[in-house]
Amino acid sequence: MKETVRLGIILMIITVVSAGVLAISNNLTKDRIAELEMAGSLEALRGIFGESANFKPLDEGKLAEIQGTNPAVVEIFEAYDGDSLTGYAIKHTSKGFGGDLVLMTGFNMDGTVAGLDVLEHSETPGLGAKAEEPEFRNRFVGLSTSGEITVEALSGATVTTTGVLAGVNEVREVFNTQLSN
Amino acid sequence: MKLSKIFRDGIINDNPIFVQLIGMCSTLAVSTNVVNSVAMGAAVIAVLVGSNLVISILRNVIPDKIRIPAFVVVIATFVTIVEMFMKAYAPPIYEALGIFLPLIVVNCIILARAEAFASKNGIVASIVDGIGMGIGYTIALVVLGAIREIFGAGTFLGMQVLPASYQPAGIFIMPPGAFILLGILIGVFNLARRKKSSSKA
Repeated sequence: MKETVRLGIILMIITVVSAGVLAISNNLTKDRIAELEMAGSLEALRGIFGESANFKPLDEGKLAEIQGTNPAVVEIFEAYDGDSLTGYAIKHTSKGFGGDLVLMTGFNMDGTVAGLDVLEHSETPGLGAKAEEPEFRNRFVGLSTSGEITVEALSGATVTTTGVLAGVNEVREVFNTQLSN
Repeated sequence: MKLSKIFRDGIINDNPIFVQLIGMCSTLAVSTNVVNSVAMGAAVIAVLVGSNLVISILRNVIPDKIRIPAFVVVIATFVTIVEMFMKAYAPPIYEALGIFLPLIVVNCIILARAEAFASKNGIVASIVDGIGMGIGYTIALVVLGAIREIFGAGTFLGMQVLPASYQPAGIFIMPPGAFILLGILIGVFNLARRKKSSSKA
């Protein structure tokens, strides 16, 4: 009994010290990580809607409501040209071949895809990883949101393509039913 | 034991990949190109040196019965620190390594060195062992990554090295190609090692 308590206390001391060290490193890095994530989103947004557009995060209440039915949605941004709303960009996740894909899909108010960006992925280099290249991403630009979106698959990367398409079509539904009106 | 021998053992005589055959999963998974290999190697060296150091310091404090959970806590702490700093200061590499960065926690090289070396040896020797093993691991990864990148994608460090007319052999990038190549490399490495030791004797 005494032995067990002793062992437990030693292990506890080790974990407490470790938690302390982790808390310090977290404090040192968290601001920069948040900043980088924001910068990454902004860059993707500019790539989709152009350098001159302005962006605003969607109202949090509405975002929470959308996330309730579509857990894949991470963030939603409104894109403005001057004062007029030109479209929405949805940051969302989908299943790829090597893990989760984090995508940013932009929609124009006229019912077309403004663009697609692959923010994070763990796909196979040379195959599925080509999804992040403009050559593939640009296949989505200008497609209508009224029907299911399809594009020519990346050769050797059917699963990646299917994953991207599933994600894009899921947020297309979100755009059609909850944002475009 | 001499420090130079400990160091050389990590790289050649007990090379974690080519001789001990441990930590194979992440080796096969991340060695698709040279940049990933170097980054993964650096992460493993950092974790290995850190955990060897701390475990060596604590080797007389940690009771035998709970040594494994204690080691795992120490290792996990270092992995998480490396992960946080990589995410903050080297995001492209952090993204490239993906899940294999946190999985360094269960990489058996780290636990094996904690158990077999750091828990029985002094601080300096443990640090040297960590550096040696880490470099041995990194060398194996970079060799594998270089061959896979050159033949599988036609590039080296992201630059085109083979003529554009070269049709990349996709098998090198895929896991089966990694297995085949690793098998060949292990054979070559051990043949060279044997030749060297027999010529010495």
